[in-house]
Amino acid sequence: MKNSKKILQKALGISFLVSIIIFQGCKKSFLDVNPAGNTAASQFWKTQDDATKAVSAMYANLHEWTNIAFAPIAVESMGSDDVLKGSTAVDASFMNDFHNFTANSGEGQISDFWGGEYKTINFANQVLDNVPGISMDATLKARYLAEAKFVRAWAYFRLVRAFGDVPLRLHVPKGASEYNIPRTPKAQVWAAIETDLTDAAAVLPQSYAAADIGRVTKGAALALHAKAAMYQKKWSDVLNYTNLVMGLGYSLFPNYEQLFRTNNKNNSESVFEIQCALVPNNPNASNSQYSQVQGVDGSTGGGWGFNVPSASLVAAYETGDPRKDATIIFRGETTPEGDVIPSNGNSSMYNQKSYVPFSLYVSGYNEGCQQNKIALRYADVLLMNAEANNELGNAAAALIPLEQVRARARAGNNAILPKVTTTDPAALRTAIYNERRVELALEFDRYFDVIRQGRGVEVFGPRGFTAGKNEVWPLPQNEIDLSAGTLVQNPNY
Amino acid sequence: MKRIFTISGLVLLFFFFINTAFAQNSTIKGKVTDATTGETLIGVSVSVKGTSTGTQTDVNGAYTLAAPSGSTLTFTYIGYATQQIAVNGQTELNVKLLAQASELQQVVVIGYGTQRKLDNTGSVSSVKGVEVSKQASTNALSALQGKVSGVNITNNGTPGSSPLISIRGLGTIYGNVSPLFVVDGTWYSDISFLNNNDIENVTILKDASSTAIYGVRAANGVVLITTKHGVKGRPVVNYNGYAGWQAATNGVKMADATEYATAVNELVGYSNHGVAPGDVKPPLFDNPASFGKGTDWYGQILRNAFVTNHQVSLSGGTDKVTYDYSFGYLDQDGLVRNNNYKRYTLHFANDFTPVKALKIGYSANGLFSKSNDIPGGIFHQLYAAAPTLPVFYKDGTYGDPADYGTGNGNNFNPEATLDFTNSKTTNHRLTGDVHAELAILKNLKFRTSFGGDIGQTEARVYLPVYKATIAQNRTVSNLGITHNDTRNWIWENTLTYDYKIKDHKLTALVGYSAQNTRNFQNKAAADNVPYTSSGNLHTAFPDGAAVAFIPTPGDQIHTRTLSQFGRINYSFQDKYLLNASIRRDGASQFFPNPYGWFPSIGGGWVITNEQFMKDQHIFDNLKLRGSWGKVGNSVVPINPSIQTVSADPYLTAIFGNPQVPTQGASINTVVPPFIVWEKGVSSDFGIEGAFLHNRLSFEADYYNRKTEDAIFAIPILASVGTNSGSIIGNQATIQNKGFEFVLSWKDQPTRDFSYSFSGNLGVNTNKVLSVLSGKNPIYSGGTGIVNGNLATRTVVGEPIGEFYGYKVTGVFQTAAEVAASNQKNAQPGDFIYQDLNGDHSIDTRDRTVIGNPNPKISYGFNTAFTYKQFDLAIDLQGVADVDVYNANIGYRFANENFTQDFYDHRWHGAGTSNTYPSTNIGSNDNSKPNTFFVESGAYFRVRNAQLGYTLPGNSLKKYGVQKIRFYANAQNAINIFGYKGFTPEIGGAVGNKGIDADVYPLFATYNFGVNVTF
Repeated sequence: MKNSKKILQKALGISFLVSIIIFQGCKKSFLDVNPAGNTAASQFWKTQDDATKAVSAMYANLHEWTNIAFAPIAVESMGSDDVLKGSTAVDASFMNDFHNFTANSGEGQISDFWGGEYKTINFANQVLDNVPGISMDATLKARYLAEAKFVRAWAYFRLVRAFGDVPLRLHVPKGASEYNIPRTPKAQVWAAIETDLTDAAAVLPQSYAAADIGRVTKGAALALHAKAAMYQKKWSDVLNYTNLVMGLGYSLFPNYEQLFRTNNKNNSESVFEIQCALVPNNPNASNSQYSQVQGVDGSTGGGWGFNVPSASLVAAYETGDPRKDATIIFRGETTPEGDVIPSNGNSSMYNQKSYVPFSLYVSGYNEGCQQNKIALRYADVLLMNAEANNELGNAAAALIPLEQVRARARAGNNAILPKVTTTDPAALRTAIYNERRVELALEFDRYFDVIRQGRGVEVFGPRGFTAGKNEVWPLPQNEIDLSAGTLVQNPNY
Repeated sequence: MKRIFTISGLVLLFFFFINTAFAQNSTIKGKVTDATTGETLIGVSVSVKGTSTGTQTDVNGAYTLAAPSGSTLTFTYIGYATQQIAVNGQTELNVKLLAQASELQQVVVIGYGTQRKLDNTGSVSSVKGVEVSKQASTNALSALQGKVSGVNITNNGTPGSSPLISIRGLGTIYGNVSPLFVVDGTWYSDISFLNNNDIENVTILKDASSTAIYGVRAANGVVLITTKHGVKGRPVVNYNGYAGWQAATNGVKMADATEYATAVNELVGYSNHGVAPGDVKPPLFDNPASFGKGTDWYGQILRNAFVTNHQVSLSGGTDKVTYDYSFGYLDQDGLVRNNNYKRYTLHFANDFTPVKALKIGYSANGLFSKSNDIPGGIFHQLYAAAPTLPVFYKDGTYGDPADYGTGNGNNFNPEATLDFTNSKTTNHRLTGDVHAELAILKNLKFRTSFGGDIGQTEARVYLPVYKATIAQNRTVSNLGITHNDTRNWIWENTLTYDYKIKDHKLTALVGYSAQNTRNFQNKAAADNVPYTSSGNLHTAFPDGAAVAFIPTPGDQIHTRTLSQFGRINYSFQDKYLLNASIRRDGASQFFPNPYGWFPSIGGGWVITNEQFMKDQHIFDNLKLRGSWGKVGNSVVPINPSIQTVSADPYLTAIFGNPQVPTQGASINTVVPPFIVWEKGVSSDFGIEGAFLHNRLSFEADYYNRKTEDAIFAIPILASVGTNSGSIIGNQATIQNKGFEFVLSWKDQPTRDFSYSFSGNLGVNTNKVLSVLSGKNPIYSGGTGIVNGNLATRTVVGEPIGEFYGYKVTGVFQTAAEVAASNQKNAQPGDFIYQDLNGDHSIDTRDRTVIGNPNPKISYGFNTAFTYKQFDLAIDLQGVADVDVYNANIGYRFANENFTQDFYDHRWHGAGTSNTYPSTNIGSNDNSKPNTFFVESGAYFRVRNAQLGYTLPGNSLKKYGVQKIRFYANAQNAINIFGYKGFTPEIGGAVGNKGIDADVYPLFATYNFGVNVTF
């Protein structure tokens, strides 16, 4: 008995000691546990594959909710005279605050838009800061950096248009001291946009092989540069960059209505197009709600019916202009794809440019998540060229691209849309403004066009547009609160 | 082995002979019962004072012991006063132990051991297992509500879910605010696997000096649970069963169809305010009255839910082996039709004493549960659904909201939601420990235990092909399966040394512990899975299914802890007490600087044991105590200062013709350069006493608990471009200080009648002492339910996460009032906000503190009566001085339904209301965080009421039945509160705490049960 007791005691005592020795001996490795499920950032930015993934993430972010759906509708569209809020009277009634210029700094869509663009900027800056250090194919590296510069310029373009001065981040903030920075004057933001676009255009290819279609091109960089110049009224730059784009082989897609359908993605007219798809078994990747939020409500898939065409837009079309029917879905109509639009619903008209035929609807996915969004197209380039020529006193030269756009719309029917012939600069300017409105209707340009043309009070005044205030939206209040005084609100908000 | 037993038996006999050679031994028999209830007490330690001779009472409370006729017997039992009785030549000693009457003499469970309450210098509360199992709650935690001062329990109504528990206010912020649960020495963060009937004792360690021995996991307090182990005696079979039902109570009445249609028409009118003529919408309903009462959606979907619970246990033992086996079965319906939770539990515990110096044993708990889950968001649907919508049309098809044009806010038919939901969850879990205890020397004990927690949860959601309404349909079926696996182990080793000489008593403990926590999740889904049967869908995808694996990086957890600890308990003459402990924890979360030290010290003075108190007759006990300690919090994000790569599915780019998805990855977070341990530093001063022959006892505590370097995420500038919009860090130091009082009275005036009252009160104030951002406030609470507005603010000198918003001074009655106001864009029926800064405009600078979500006062009042065969217990409980943000009223997208209260009081024309706004309450300006939404969260409830009847003693003995007790129980039967939402018990993480986004009705439970002992 005594023996066995001793043996037991010893055995346990030894096991206790052994346990301590084992754990002391290897305690360092015992507590060194890899973060489960995630790769540490320190392991990233090592290979070409990492660079490829980071560039992909940057593109992916462009079709995310705050970049493509509600916030852009509020900030970039609702203020225009082309649209009404849509849906039921009470649904997202804050959209009316954008339409009526009563939106204040607390509007969630303003902070969503702001945050969405800065997420894009972060993804671009991550590439621009980190890819240079990766040893990889030099040509590909240069192209990735150029793609990132374009995307960053695109985000700043949207920000500066919407808010004026904004904090300019050209690098990933290195630490807390770089988080809270003041607004940079908009002239400097424009300059940074132009630098990025110059750099991008110098490197980006004119086109891609089939597998890479959808990435940004030289044409996209030049076209965006032209547009950036146009917002600054740098007309000779606009002319210069549009001329360069016009030498790259783009052409207007013959059928205006079909230009926007999913089976004509990345067509000859497309200059910069946000790529979206229905990825089977991956609703998170199929996350574009661009089409859904504007879709016909009370129909298959249940569109939300926002951002609907206004009577003012309908009236803007010249008699017989086929673009009216191609741009607007009228309740009760049958679409060219054969969808019968129910005759009862919240609105009488819907955006046809975001329309996806009902047959493509797959439940469990956002309705119309397949729809690409054309962000820059050749007709826009032609009209910028026309506007620049006219502003520079070359009315005759302006008439040529203007006629190109009208001729395509005419679709061979010479009874409609007569050729514009006036060389009176003021009359031609009006003609070009009207042409931009109807050609690019519901493409999120009209609102900012009117403001840059200095016609805010004239066109939006009856709805509440006030000069000296409504040229820009207020900065998000949450952001001002968090900055503790570093960010100063836009005047009169 | 058998030979060892024989030899040890001989040796024991030999020792007895030696003993008898020196003293005249006699055999003493007796029975130990509860002095108040007369219940037999099983497992009471009976020992001969000053010797190591001892035994335990058997299942009938009986014991037999050989002891010298002049000796004194000591009777010790957890939760009862220790009694010492001189034998004086008697051979039968029947003893009645007094439960709790003398708090100071109780033996309490503490970390890694037990201690007389007298010797304890911290704040420790215990609840007997019988108190837990008596309640008809299916989770042990909810049975503690109102029983322990300073412990706040928030119930969540879903069957199978665990309630939230917080001890002494909100100490930590990130993640889990639950305390550490230690079940038979094994650590858990949740104890839903335990059957209430298997619990022997629950002890709550509240102050840092008691919890510091648990170091890094102790920040939120520690709950120690001992499960039942067998005691020596013949096999005893116990059956406990009840059946009953749950019913929604204190529901919020919604507007009926006519009222709804009226309100919606008003709302359409307000929404047309300032809208261009082309966009003006006509009223939605031509004739509101034609809809009558319409559909009562709560009535349509909810039901009185049946619940039944059965448990059978078998326990007993010999000198060498004891056993306790039990099997439990719970079948609980949810309030929502089709919702059901079934739970099977097994408890096995065996203890062996092969030789006197060695005890080995194990306990194991098995759980299998399966549930039919409720559709996500169904309660919001019931709240929002239009009463004008019929469940079914006359032709049997589902009522379609699209036919009424009520819009996307309530574009659902809850019946269709329910009918096409097919979600099931199963859970397998095995927990337990094996342990060995060895007396190396007479006073030196070594204990080692290895505990484990192995679990697997499998949730599957099947989405069938169906068409109910325009919005509710699927053309492609989908099966999603999520597996969650837990593999945890803990190995603990302790050496305990007891030393006693003359007036000095010392217990020293050193220990060593290692543990590993692993949780991993696999998630996959496939489209076009044909519905065959529920059975095979549960386990696997069919052959040929295109299965997509969905990464869930956030749900993969692997952490390790390695610790050393020691403690000294010293007392001098039972008067002066000193307890000190220290623990060094290494936690992999903080690697490469994983180590932290957690010390504690406590002192006590038992005044009644002083010479000068000998002659007083007021106090039976009086003790002062004080303690200080430091604990850690390991429930922090893993490696929070290590930045990780995000490869979420939404980061999928599309390139090419044809389009090909390409998973991207990049960095969209920011992390602090370093992070330090979050520390809970607290001090506690207490006084305990008993008067009037231990009938009246009290305990009062003052505590001051500081959470230093609290780790949580705060919003960061959106321009930094992070995905979450937040950054983690050591953000703040928070203080919780307060008082706790317990006052109990217990008496047995006659042989047949006894009763007890016990009241407890906790008063807690919460204050932020410093924040990382200095003077800048932390704004938070910007969830969807408050339309993204940051509704809470944390600022130095104020409670954490206060509600922050506008002050409503009234409601605009006329357009003229609007025109003369600071809110030119308003319309009659909108809130008038106070211009706090006097600049004649209303903007964010006019916000102020509008409420405090941290409860100041919590209280409980427990009563028990027994009269002859009857027993009655009523527990009352409540919370006061707390605010709740009733966000549901303002959370509107379109034409969601209104509450009856809102409809009745709404503004609908000049003079109709100056407090409630018009039906346009969901508008941007009206739904901004403001005082209208802040209500008192105070409540008072009859938490539990139970009436029992025990059949008289011998009536059933001949059938082998020892005891039968019948009882009826009502839980939450009476709830009193002024809050206009469903229940003012609102949880939520800090920053969002108190913002009520729930529309789950409160429920009452009524049960009838029987307890039989064979």
